[in-house]
Amino acid sequence: MKADRLRRFIDLHAWLGMASGLALFVAFFAGALNVFHHELHHWQTPQATEAASQDAIDGQALLDRVTDQYPDARKRLFFLPEEDPAVMWFQSSDAGAGERGAGEWLTAHATDFDEAGKYVEKPRSALADFINQLHYQLAIPSGGLPINLGMTFMGLISILYGAALFTGLVIHWPKLRKEFFALKHEGNMRRYWKNMHNLIGVVSLPFHLIMSVTGAAMGAFTLVAVVLGTLVFGPQLRGVIEEETAVWPPVQSQGENAAMVPMADYLSAAADALPEMSVDWVEIRGYGDAAGWVDVAGSVPGDVGHHAHVVLDPAMGVLNVIAPGQRSLNFDSFSPVYSLHFGDYGGMLVKGLYFAMGLLGALLFVSGNVLWCERRSDRQGPSRGSAFLLRLTLGLCFGVVIGVACSFLVSKGLPYTPWAAWVATAERAVCGVVVVLLVLWSLRASPLRFSGLMLMVAPLCYLAVPLLQVVLEGGHALEADNLLINGLLLLVASSLWVVRRQFRKRVRLAEPHPLWVGKVTQGHPKHLTETEREAVS
Amino acid sequence: MRAFLAFLLSLPLSVMLMGLLAAAVPAPWQSWLVLQLLGVTLLWMLLVTLVALPERTWPPLVALLVMNGLAWVALQTTALYGGGA
Repeated sequence: MKADRLRRFIDLHAWLGMASGLALFVAFFAGALNVFHHELHHWQTPQATEAASQDAIDGQALLDRVTDQYPDARKRLFFLPEEDPAVMWFQSSDAGAGERGAGEWLTAHATDFDEAGKYVEKPRSALADFINQLHYQLAIPSGGLPINLGMTFMGLISILYGAALFTGLVIHWPKLRKEFFALKHEGNMRRYWKNMHNLIGVVSLPFHLIMSVTGAAMGAFTLVAVVLGTLVFGPQLRGVIEEETAVWPPVQSQGENAAMVPMADYLSAAADALPEMSVDWVEIRGYGDAAGWVDVAGSVPGDVGHHAHVVLDPAMGVLNVIAPGQRSLNFDSFSPVYSLHFGDYGGMLVKGLYFAMGLLGALLFVSGNVLWCERRSDRQGPSRGSAFLLRLTLGLCFGVVIGVACSFLVSKGLPYTPWAAWVATAERAVCGVVVVLLVLWSLRASPLRFSGLMLMVAPLCYLAVPLLQVVLEGGHALEADNLLINGLLLLVASSLWVVRRQFRKRVRLAEPHPLWVGKVTQGHPKHLTETEREAVS
Repeated sequence: MRAFLAFLLSLPLSVMLMGLLAAAVPAPWQSWLVLQLLGVTLLWMLLVTLVALPERTWPPLVALLVMNGLAWVALQTTALYGGGA
């Protein structure tokens, strides 16, 4: 490829990476933790609540109570048959909504009922949901709009990310083999960081391709569907999407009642229809209505697109089975999009790989942004723009890393204080406050000192979380899911410690770039690139 | 500005190109809607890259605009809008 064309590819790759890098860093760092979303749900439950769930009502009694007390739950509800069973429903009216009011999804656990059998919402940690929202919508609230702003924004970011991957592939394809073995110092630490960026990008390219396409498909779905409907298929598209992605048509009630059988019988009927399925949740539409249906949803192991559904009528007659090999092309295409994105198709090994790739991806975006700032400064001389972007990158990235650790600490510590009722709010607030404070601090401080300090604080924060759980809950911290999450947090701490060691090595061995030290002014000497230095000498 | 316009104009073109493909494929468009969605996102990424790459700013943007117009005209010859397969 001609040098001029290659330079344009490099410029575009750097620009696209810079434009999307910060949002992607947040998505990847939170996404790495979110791979273990289910386990995190268990981790966030305090030991006292778990003990209480042993004496609580069973899942069937919970279902009966919720459908008796909340008419809205009878229209549509989700039942989660876990250790502490839960029922979720959308409260559209004020009838019985309690303190939360209408227009919200409510969740009732088996432990949430008083002695009189009345639902009393208990304060619970919502850390897993917060990490999930941070991952897919940067925790940007939707504000009641018909479109999820944060999710659509991440969909658009994924398009830029995909374009950056295309250009990165074109740049690196001819020298792929050479770069694969190029992670060595050669006395030049800046070269080392650049090689590391290239190596991570090349090694994890298939993972990034999957993430960009599936992330864009899910994030920008609403936007693409609106444009597709407006320009190509017309208003009929909405109905077609609902028809093609629904497991069964919506309930057309004739006002005829039907007796519901116990939940265990529905699960048993679903197991008869699809013996290899493990159940994740149950959706019930039109509870107690003869036209209603029960969707038992779960997974069929051994297939990437593992999602499966058995739809039953109220009398347990099988209406529909959707499983690998027994579903439409749309379901066959949609299921792998989800599972490839969430990494839940290959057990712990694949989840572990996704976790590692997520952390490496976060490092890729930080190193890409840092390289962009340094390169821009090398080419055009020191500028306030490059200095600002470098400081913003450092402030936001360290802010998110330390902010998330603080959310973990609050999630574990606050339930044991008089402020336990505020735990879900505090988890979000503390992360937001830390991010804002560290961004403001980074804009004022010397990037070199700021990074050195943050790289000391961040690993300690992640080390403190498992320690806090051991102090507060003792051996509970070593139970299966808790042990896994604590182990992952220790891995994050040690990864940050490795980055710290490499950072200190760079500071020790290489001359710091002008951007990293103090204020940047026009009078500051222009930093020479490697090629320019060679030309001078 | 250039990247923003490339980003903005590439979406309708990729959607319309996928629509033309749906019209050409001898299968009901409803049956492979998810694949069309994935195709649109891939095309969108590719178009953003192609339009943002050339050294000159306006020719690729004008070409993108013209392509959008041509694709829209071509779509009018199909029975997709509000119609069947």
